[in-house]
Amino acid sequence: MDIKYINPFINSTTNVFEDFFKVSPVVQKPYIVRSNEDHEWDVSAIIGIAGETRGAVVISFTEDLATLLTSKLVGRQITTIDDDVVDTIGEIVNIIAGNAKKGLEEYRLMISLPSIIKGKNHQIAWPVKNLPIVGIPFKTDFGPFTLSVGLENIITEG
Amino acid sequence: MKILVVDDSRIMRSIVKNTMKTMYNIEDGFIEASNGEEAYKALESMQVDLMLLDWNMPILNGIDLVRKLRAMDKYKALPIIMVTSEAAKYNVIEAVKAGVNDYLVKPVTEKNLYEKVKKYLE
Repeated sequence: MDIKYINPFINSTTNVFEDFFKVSPVVQKPYIVRSNEDHEWDVSAIIGIAGETRGAVVISFTEDLATLLTSKLVGRQITTIDDDVVDTIGEIVNIIAGNAKKGLEEYRLMISLPSIIKGKNHQIAWPVKNLPIVGIPFKTDFGPFTLSVGLENIITEG
Repeated sequence: MKILVVDDSRIMRSIVKNTMKTMYNIEDGFIEASNGEEAYKALESMQVDLMLLDWNMPILNGIDLVRKLRAMDKYKALPIIMVTSEAAKYNVIEAVKAGVNDYLVKPVTEKNLYEKVKKYLE
């Protein structure tokens, strides 16, 4: 895979966590995600990408991390995935995708409104069949999360 | 002073409002809208001095609201700052062509919000 197209997403993810939560996430080794594989995440926020490619950006959290991050942002303790958690992780993926466009300016891209999917081992329906998806794991002091990116003809397995 | 904060994220509206309150000691004077249509209705019902406007929203998005307002004489001079995650240069150019006065890329920080809004509030 070409790291040139992964870096904008890593950078925008790092920036949003530092600005919003005063946390510096540490990126781990990216890998190719097989669709529908089992995972440990409780909630994901997905944003579609259209224009000169098709694809999506997905950020996935455990319930513990999603509620903890939202608690930090709103200043009260949240223990379940409520409207504030949905709002927060939707805004996180919106900022990650929108900011990453700055590093992908050779392509004119449009982003959708975010959607939230929750539930144990929930599955993402990616907008393009057989799209290579890159999983970018991050670690924080409060727990791990992962960013998944698939962009047709831009992110490839080669 | 009336400031219209338009964003489909309630938490983002709170962040913008709280940051503005801290900087300018403004307690009252904020009006909120969660999409462009709500914002337009608010503008029709009261005098607004500054609008902070998100781009990607349901029903009526920010860029289409700017085009609609700038086509009307009474809103040609309304100060509009677009506050959005859209960071590509072509987005900034599109927004400026549509008629925004300024452009701020999220995430919003106290410093970058202060730099953008000070000339409209002083």
